[in-house]
Amino acid sequence: MMDLDPRHYEHVTINDGDIRNIVQSYLVHNCFNETAESFLACTGMKQPVDYLADMDKRKSIFRFALEGNALKAIELTEQLAPNLLEDNKDLHFDLLSLHFVNLICSRKCTEALEFAQTKLTPFGKVHKYVEKLEDFMALLAYEEPEKSPMFHLLSPDHRQNVADCLNRAILAHANLPCYSSMERLIQQATVVRQCLHQELGKDGPPPFSLKGFLKN
Amino acid sequence: MGGVDDNEPPLKRVRVPTVESGSLLKNSPFSEPVISLGGPMARPLASEGKEDIIGSKGVIKKVEFVRIITKALYSLGYERSGAALEDESGIYLHSSVVNLFRKQVLDGYWDESLVTLRKIDHLDENILKSASFLILEQKFFELLGKNRIIDAVKMLRSEITPLGIKRERVHELSGCIVSSSKLALLGFANVGTETANSRMKLLEELQKLFPPTVMIPERRLEHLVEQALNVQRDACYFHNSLDSTLSLYTDHQCGKEQIPSQTTQVLFGHHDEVWFLQFSNNGKYLASSSSDGSVIIWEVHEDGRISLKHKLTGHDKPVIMVAWRPDDCQLLSCGMEEVVRRWDVISGECLHVYEKSGLGLISCAWFPDGKQLLCGVTDQNISLWDLDGKELESWKGLRATRTSDIAVTKDGKWIISMCRETAISLLDREAKREHLIEEEQTITTFSLSKHDKFLLVNLLNQEIHLWSIVGEPMLIAKYKGHKRSRLVIRSCFGGYEQAFVASGSEDSQVYIWHRAGGDLIRALPGHAGAVNCVSWNPSNHHMLASASDDHTIRVWGLNRVNLKRKDAGYHCNGVVHQCNGNRK
Repeated sequence: MMDLDPRHYEHVTINDGDIRNIVQSYLVHNCFNETAESFLACTGMKQPVDYLADMDKRKSIFRFALEGNALKAIELTEQLAPNLLEDNKDLHFDLLSLHFVNLICSRKCTEALEFAQTKLTPFGKVHKYVEKLEDFMALLAYEEPEKSPMFHLLSPDHRQNVADCLNRAILAHANLPCYSSMERLIQQATVVRQCLHQELGKDGPPPFSLKGFLKN
Repeated sequence: MGGVDDNEPPLKRVRVPTVESGSLLKNSPFSEPVISLGGPMARPLASEGKEDIIGSKGVIKKVEFVRIITKALYSLGYERSGAALEDESGIYLHSSVVNLFRKQVLDGYWDESLVTLRKIDHLDENILKSASFLILEQKFFELLGKNRIIDAVKMLRSEITPLGIKRERVHELSGCIVSSSKLALLGFANVGTETANSRMKLLEELQKLFPPTVMIPERRLEHLVEQALNVQRDACYFHNSLDSTLSLYTDHQCGKEQIPSQTTQVLFGHHDEVWFLQFSNNGKYLASSSSDGSVIIWEVHEDGRISLKHKLTGHDKPVIMVAWRPDDCQLLSCGMEEVVRRWDVISGECLHVYEKSGLGLISCAWFPDGKQLLCGVTDQNISLWDLDGKELESWKGLRATRTSDIAVTKDGKWIISMCRETAISLLDREAKREHLIEEEQTITTFSLSKHDKFLLVNLLNQEIHLWSIVGEPMLIAKYKGHKRSRLVIRSCFGGYEQAFVASGSEDSQVYIWHRAGGDLIRALPGHAGAVNCVSWNPSNHHMLASASDDHTIRVWGLNRVNLKRKDAGYHCNGVVHQCNGNRK
């Protein structure tokens, strides 16, 4: 996979402090609190005091969401960041529906129905949730929801998605960046390459491939 | 042959199953089970040849005929008659299985009806699934209606979804569980209170699924009769009457007596030649203009009599044409190479005079919104004015002549005018497109049909040409027979769906042709001078008016004597009436 000649890179100097920030931001974003602590200690960087305490809480919220234990995640979120879910209706709905899906998967249909009636239908008053609501309700119609057209709602990918959204919302609430700088940098490289490729066609550099880049 | 036809319903006498009828008779709608069992068995098998077919053409199967009559009787509410017919003929509307099925559906015994469903013949797997789906759907909605939501969900999961069809519908049904608005959307909001109604609807839906031999479609007999009437109406060459005259007793056939042929009134009011006349769009008024410079608005009364309403004076020159505003509240009149005047129809007062200094106007037409008008000018331009007289636009397009017709289609899109001696231009001003109608002879006048589909073009050589102007103009028909050598003679469309063409003529007669066929139907004498213009009343197909050099207007209508004769069964004008479908 052809890439730019690595010799081009020699001309660009990078500040070591920047690199440390990038690593730290990644660790913080993904709640690797122990690693973050030791990294801080090794490098001698300074961070605000309550920084790590919040990270702990955020970590457990993220984990609960990822497991599908939405109610616990909601409870802790309310504690950590009150009003966050009220301001983020979409997220609130997604979390509640995680619980609904949980009940469906454990074949507790009556409970699922009741939960839907009490917690989810109030959202149905707003038009944009109606379709989503219908999709979830459709799961009730199948004795084997994994085989229904809506099976993607049961997948771990979906849960990951919701958990990520929640994580980002909490970070935003605390006035921290929603995306780790590492992520952004890679995204940026990809987009820039895409633009170049579109404009210059064959004469320009190929689209960015992280794999290819790392192999080099 | 001896075998049972495939077309015949599952219940033929041969096939009344002994076991079933024993238990089913309890549910049979008939009050005399003994006859039901003994009756059909005792009758001869229908497969014995000739009895099967009735009617002179040998195409009607007796069993089908009786069954649709029975169905019609039941639909009309004649339960006893329906049952009596079934009994007497031995031909059952539905087999006993189907009858049971219907009853179970109407009574809401869903599980039982599903079982019975499988026992009905002639139903393939697809139909069975679709029918089961519909029945279970009804069960689902009724459960929701009774607030038995858990049961409804259980039923959805275990019975409906496993059918494996109509996935989107399943999706919608699950939406209904929590959303009452969804329920309303699907039309089932009041299932609880309107159970009987919705079950009837279900039965109708099921009927549509089943092959017609199993359950006769609703209103089949009515449909067949309507079909026959349509065919008769379409085949009626001189058709010029209202649908209310269609009767089942005789084949419908208008004779020529439906076409105006007699003078019913002569209108005196002008002092000189009458050059133009036109009925208003709603047929309640008639406007005429004369070389004596006057315009008269006549009122058409309910009984068909016409009386003078206003005589409008003001023009100094002969008035060559008038134009009704689409809402019939105002009238334009054009003096020959003079001015155009706008009048209020109710009061008769002149609201505005349109003129161009140094020039004369030679034609006028309204825009469909009634807020703008077009005029032809002697300098070969067409002018567009607003009501107050402000000239909005002007473009070159006409050849100057004594009169140069213009017209606008009802959608306001096309402007039709005579751009050359032998050509008419159809101009789409917005798209800047133009179509041309080109003739080989000089064109004198033209007239637009009601729905802007056709143009009638009058030529110098005594022919009238019919052009279709939808898309590229196409010549469709030619009409001949009338006389025209020196004067401007006008023609028009008229009658039921504008099926006829009428024209004036220099030989003082009014000519009427069949539009599609092209043949001359009538030449009506009466006037004492050339007939310049004709107009057919748009709301009374039996009224025609003609304007003549003899200073009068004649109103033509039906020949009452002939009509009476027709009712008594006489021959009329060469067209023989028969009751059983044989045309002349």
